[in-house]
Amino acid sequence: MYDNGKNIQFEIVTPERTVLKEQILQVTVPTRDGEITVLPKHMPLVSMLKPGVIELKTVDGEVKLMSVSGGFIEVLRNKVVILADTAERAEEIDIARAEEARVRAEKTMREATHLDQEQFAAVSAVVAKELARTRAANKWKRLRGGQK
Amino acid sequence: MAKIKEIQRRIKSIANTKKITRAMEMVAAAKMRKAVEAVLKTRTYANLSWTTVLNISQSTDCRINGEGLHPLLRTRSSAKKVAIVLFTSNRGLCGGFNAAIMNKAHDSIVKHLYNDQKEKIDTDFIVVGNKGRAIHTRYGHNVTAEFPKSDAISSVTEVRAVSRLVIDDFMAGKYDKIMVAYTDYMSAAKQLPRVKQLLPVDIGAEKDHYLGVVGVDSRVGLDREFVQSKEDKYLREKKNIFIFEYEPSPEEVLEEMLPRLIEMQLYQALLESNASEESARMSAMHQATEAANDMVNELTLFYNKARQSGITAEIAEISAGANALADD
Repeated sequence: MYDNGKNIQFEIVTPERTVLKEQILQVTVPTRDGEITVLPKHMPLVSMLKPGVIELKTVDGEVKLMSVSGGFIEVLRNKVVILADTAERAEEIDIARAEEARVRAEKTMREATHLDQEQFAAVSAVVAKELARTRAANKWKRLRGGQK
Repeated sequence: MAKIKEIQRRIKSIANTKKITRAMEMVAAAKMRKAVEAVLKTRTYANLSWTTVLNISQSTDCRINGEGLHPLLRTRSSAKKVAIVLFTSNRGLCGGFNAAIMNKAHDSIVKHLYNDQKEKIDTDFIVVGNKGRAIHTRYGHNVTAEFPKSDAISSVTEVRAVSRLVIDDFMAGKYDKIMVAYTDYMSAAKQLPRVKQLLPVDIGAEKDHYLGVVGVDSRVGLDREFVQSKEDKYLREKKNIFIFEYEPSPEEVLEEMLPRLIEMQLYQALLESNASEESARMSAMHQATEAANDMVNELTLFYNKARQSGITAEIAEISAGANALADD
């Protein structure tokens, strides 16, 4: 599409695939220093992401949600690129299974008493990721429910 | 008669070989499809992350006195020790695949034998894949590390050990430059062996000498222009040039990003090599099948001729015998 200065070209990619590529109006992402919302003509920025939910509004006014487990965001004039470690669209997440995975991950963390630092970091990362997925899916469910 | 039997036996054995090569061709084709799919999937990420880093490395915040802020971005004035990460296949029967990449690597060493100070450059190899050993036996180059390559590649973790090794060795000063030798997958019919610079991450590096934007023919080696166009497009408005903000800080962002990028680039090189290997194997096996076909055809011709002449000789004998009897 053309660039009228009011849209942002948004692209989110993981090593496995391009999750979403669209023209949007705004996007909210969880960065290490807290949640930020990027609007058109945002200052160029590079930041690190933490596990959480990405929320964006397309040019049609539709709200889309995604879970992300970490990565980077690069903000250029009217273009946003997210290099995510893993990312999923909320509608693709199966809530029951996401919840299950989260519980399982938390259980591993509780039971494992003799973890070294590296293992502990890995396990907590899994927990954080699954938590983000569950949150994205639940939020999505609420959003859908509200519209009906 | 003995000749006919012999030809028959040869035809049979070649037909059997043909069956095998055809089956191998089909297996390679199936594997290639998978490998190509994997390559294409990660290309977007690899290219995007690469341009992001190049962008950052160019921005003023990340340079002190014209030098990179992060050690991985700093070019050392006289490189004396170079390591080449060489991606080869585990198995043979893939045509000139391994020979091509090793030749390329060897040529690049010969070409860059001396640095700016006219000092001899020492080159070590870090080999991924079983066939890489030949770089030592054939060319006599030093191999410092050998990594196994699994047949089914699933995730970036495959190259984690390699990337950790090269980053550590580079940071420790054991090597001044890290190169990657891999085979770029262009299409099923075309694969290009390449030697490119991985570390230090340097936009000023020689064109085409330099890992990064991969795959797309026309854009390879045009990174500088590519980044420039991106800057023009997204960072300039009228006369203002916007500079990047970094959160929390440029150091921390680079510290996190660079190792991951190196890993990604190595992973991409691995996938490219794999797709190329299977394509090379497929065409090699295809050629073998065709050659077997030609051979069978030729031998069948010989066989028929031999049979024909056998029959003619027999008839001649019989008629000669009959004539002899009739004369009596």
